[in-house]
Amino acid sequence: MAQKKRSGFVIDVSRCIDCRACLVACSAENNVGMKYTRIWVRDLGVKGEYPNLQRTFVPYNCMHCDNPPCTEVCVSGATYKDQDTGLVLVDQEACIGCGYCVDACPYNARYLDHERGVVDKCSGCIQRLQIGQQPACVTTCVGKARLFGDLNDPNSEASIALKNARTVQRLDYEKDGVHTGPNIYFINGEVLEDASVLPRDPRYPAAEATWKEILVPAVLAGIGLSFVGQATFFTKQLLEGEKE
Amino acid sequence: MSQARVSRRNFLKLSSAAVGAFALGQALPAPVARAARQAGLIDADGDGYLPTMCEMCVWRCGVRAKVVKGRVVKLEGNPEHPHSLGRLCARGQSGLMNTYDPDRVLFPLVRVGKRGEGRFRQATWDEALDIVAQKMLEIKEKYGPEAMIFSSTHNLSQVQFENLLNGYGSPNYGTQRSLCFNAMVTAFLLTYGVEEPARNYDDVKFILLVGRNLAEAISTSETSALVDALSRGAKLVVLDPRFTKTAALADEWLPIRPGADAAFLLAMINVIVTEELADCEFVKKYVVGCDELPQAMQDYTPEWAESKTGVPAGTIRRMAHEYAAAGHNAMAHPGWRTSNFINSFQTERAIATLNALSGNVLKPGGCLIAASPEASGVPLGKPPQPPYPRISALRLDGVPWKYPLVPLKLGVFQEMRDAILSGQPYQARGWFIARQNPVLSLPDRNRTLEALGKLDFIVAVDVILNDTAWFSDVVLPEASYLERYDPLNVVGGKIFIRQPVIEPQGEARSALWIYKQLGERLGLGNYFQYADEEDYLRQQLAPLGLSLEELKVKGYLDPEIERKNNGEIVFNTPSGKIEVYSETLAKAGFSPWPAWEEPPVPPAGQFYLLTGKVAQHTQFATQNNQYLHKYQDEPRLWMNTGAANSLGLKDGDLVEVTSAVGSARIPLLATQAIRPDCVYLTPGFGHLSKGLRTAYGVGASDSTLHVTYTDPVSGGQALSQTFVRVRKV
Repeated sequence: MAQKKRSGFVIDVSRCIDCRACLVACSAENNVGMKYTRIWVRDLGVKGEYPNLQRTFVPYNCMHCDNPPCTEVCVSGATYKDQDTGLVLVDQEACIGCGYCVDACPYNARYLDHERGVVDKCSGCIQRLQIGQQPACVTTCVGKARLFGDLNDPNSEASIALKNARTVQRLDYEKDGVHTGPNIYFINGEVLEDASVLPRDPRYPAAEATWKEILVPAVLAGIGLSFVGQATFFTKQLLEGEKE
Repeated sequence: MSQARVSRRNFLKLSSAAVGAFALGQALPAPVARAARQAGLIDADGDGYLPTMCEMCVWRCGVRAKVVKGRVVKLEGNPEHPHSLGRLCARGQSGLMNTYDPDRVLFPLVRVGKRGEGRFRQATWDEALDIVAQKMLEIKEKYGPEAMIFSSTHNLSQVQFENLLNGYGSPNYGTQRSLCFNAMVTAFLLTYGVEEPARNYDDVKFILLVGRNLAEAISTSETSALVDALSRGAKLVVLDPRFTKTAALADEWLPIRPGADAAFLLAMINVIVTEELADCEFVKKYVVGCDELPQAMQDYTPEWAESKTGVPAGTIRRMAHEYAAAGHNAMAHPGWRTSNFINSFQTERAIATLNALSGNVLKPGGCLIAASPEASGVPLGKPPQPPYPRISALRLDGVPWKYPLVPLKLGVFQEMRDAILSGQPYQARGWFIARQNPVLSLPDRNRTLEALGKLDFIVAVDVILNDTAWFSDVVLPEASYLERYDPLNVVGGKIFIRQPVIEPQGEARSALWIYKQLGERLGLGNYFQYADEEDYLRQQLAPLGLSLEELKVKGYLDPEIERKNNGEIVFNTPSGKIEVYSETLAKAGFSPWPAWEEPPVPPAGQFYLLTGKVAQHTQFATQNNQYLHKYQDEPRLWMNTGAANSLGLKDGDLVEVTSAVGSARIPLLATQAIRPDCVYLTPGFGHLSKGLRTAYGVGASDSTLHVTYTDPVSGGQALSQTFVRVRKV
């Protein structure tokens, strides 16, 4: 029996120039409303003392977790882990817009679209995958920082990049002994040692006007506190674990 | 699938709810592009993919447009175009919102209020064109054709724009070039005989970027090539007073004092020639002045340069050694917008010289392609036309009578504006402006507005009501780049097409159509001998025997041209060699060698005002694009955190920035990412036109602050030579 697909992103942070082509491509491809965004580029800020400075950009979106907390809390069954691709998807016909999944996602990678009354998030551009295309953000990435593929297929471009990476990091999140097992791997940059990449403040004022309405501040703070200190795993171990 | 349907419906609802006050009576959704349907690119439902070409900047990437039910829904980079290689930047991706901007001008407009009030009425094309032609003929009769200025930012229809001005008989041709790359083009023309050498990153090992911010001033394929080269281990050194996103990629960022780039480069040349590290064989064969160069450079020691640049002498010496060690795999990037200081021409001459010493020109794997051993041109045809009338009037921009070495096609745009005000050497009366926004691009906006006030007649051609159109008497609505044909473009020996993906919305029309209609009314019909846009393209393809239909389907054609190559390398200079020593410069009274010219420094309590680029916008033209607006940063004034502390300013404070010519208010960004003696204002914002409802009220315009200074050799405006005070409001 063929091995199941585990679709995921491999993101080479050394290649991201924060040009935001991915963001616009995603918005156009998926008709994302002007007040919302499905994907982000996190700016870790200007670090160091003038003139010895560094600045790193971290593109990310839904992590398409192995054990997604969002599906656990979904009352309508709209949010599910797709068996064919391994992507975490939202059936917007079934979604009742309760927003529980938005609060449950430790990565803040979902939003409630108030106009449409449904939850939305990165779908891995499944409509493109079905016709043999890559996700819009990956196709257009000017720095070639974003890769996408089946991480269970050792010959996929993403798996090869992961195998050859200088460093690999994965933002795992553990609660009550359950690991999310996120399927975004950040490579070639030590960027997330304090796990501060998520949660985060809105970065695009125009596109995230409703951000604060969505997240109850107390919930945000709670996630933030539990997150620090347990989120980061150097994934050589995890990877090896999964290969077994 | 239902998801896509719902959101598309919402999308349509959104855009129709936002119908512009200026797009009086917006038309129904544009019909499916007829030509595309005939070519079989769009099916009966109005769905399909079409190859065309981007126009969100001048890099002109190849595009594949996805059309659903006659509406453009997505743009992709064309993998077969060398400028996109399958990718598009944020601006390219946003291009459909340039077409579907709710503020599009979709009908000819005639001003009814005072200039600048923004009150227009809708007119028919016949009426609008008759008004424009009548005014232009009146000006010609009363004051002579030279009283009419024509200006346009470079685009593929420029050749017909030039027919309009040359046929009409005006010498006054304005472009954006003196606000952009005059220094680079003039220096490389004089040194190598090419306007802009191509860059080759295939085997590059050492890259020196002098203010070239490739991560934010994106040329898609070149930016990708740079990131690829760095991933392969090439070394990147960035000279910039600001820690840009390109500097963030660099192995070494050297925050050099503004205006002192030439000192750094001259000292590198000094080390290379003094220590005999150059590629001697190449230099002896191809460089004019190679024997005298060490003597000409003898004063420019690294120790001397340290005092000018603030970069330690040891660092400069090490850079020279590393650059020389990389041989022809080293690249000193020529830059692009090089209009920074009145000495920017010398900076470019030093860059040109540094490349000559590495022998990187033309060698296999060399990093600069500055001469061509072959006739690489593709002999496209063009419609027949009579010779132009003889023009004897002086140019208002001082070329060549005041600026002898500035190429005619570059010009000195800011000087033209000043001539309107001074009335010298004669008074301009009218201005025909196409796809250009001089109200925001020229320095000293108050003077530009004053100049507009002195004119009898102003006409603008644009897709939106930009700030200059806002002050115009007639606005002619151009079809967007996804709605029209333009003349063909040749890249890398291949012929690429821009073709309409949808029919023009409203009454918008292509530049080819507008210029022809106007030309005929001006009695210049012989300069516009094409029936329509497709006929123009067919006449271009005729000498090659190629078919427009095939081109439309493929997006490009690769003509088999016999290229002459006898192996001889010839540079298009008077000597046929690389002129590090230039007799042309000497004869014009300038230094024949690359030379140091001391730039001014800000008085105590003032800062250099730097300009630059953000990756989400192109100059002053895209701020109204809703996709780009969505993902842009809030425009701010950057100031070094230490400098801000000493002024009692903190991040987020609203500050007033004041120069000798104007002031602006903007929130402060306190950051380590800039020299303490500089501030930087996010460019492109501060629009005056209320017809730009997304962009209006956002940010401040640096053109209100810029003082007009012109580089005497290249004619470039010195855009970073303005000094400002900053105080808390």
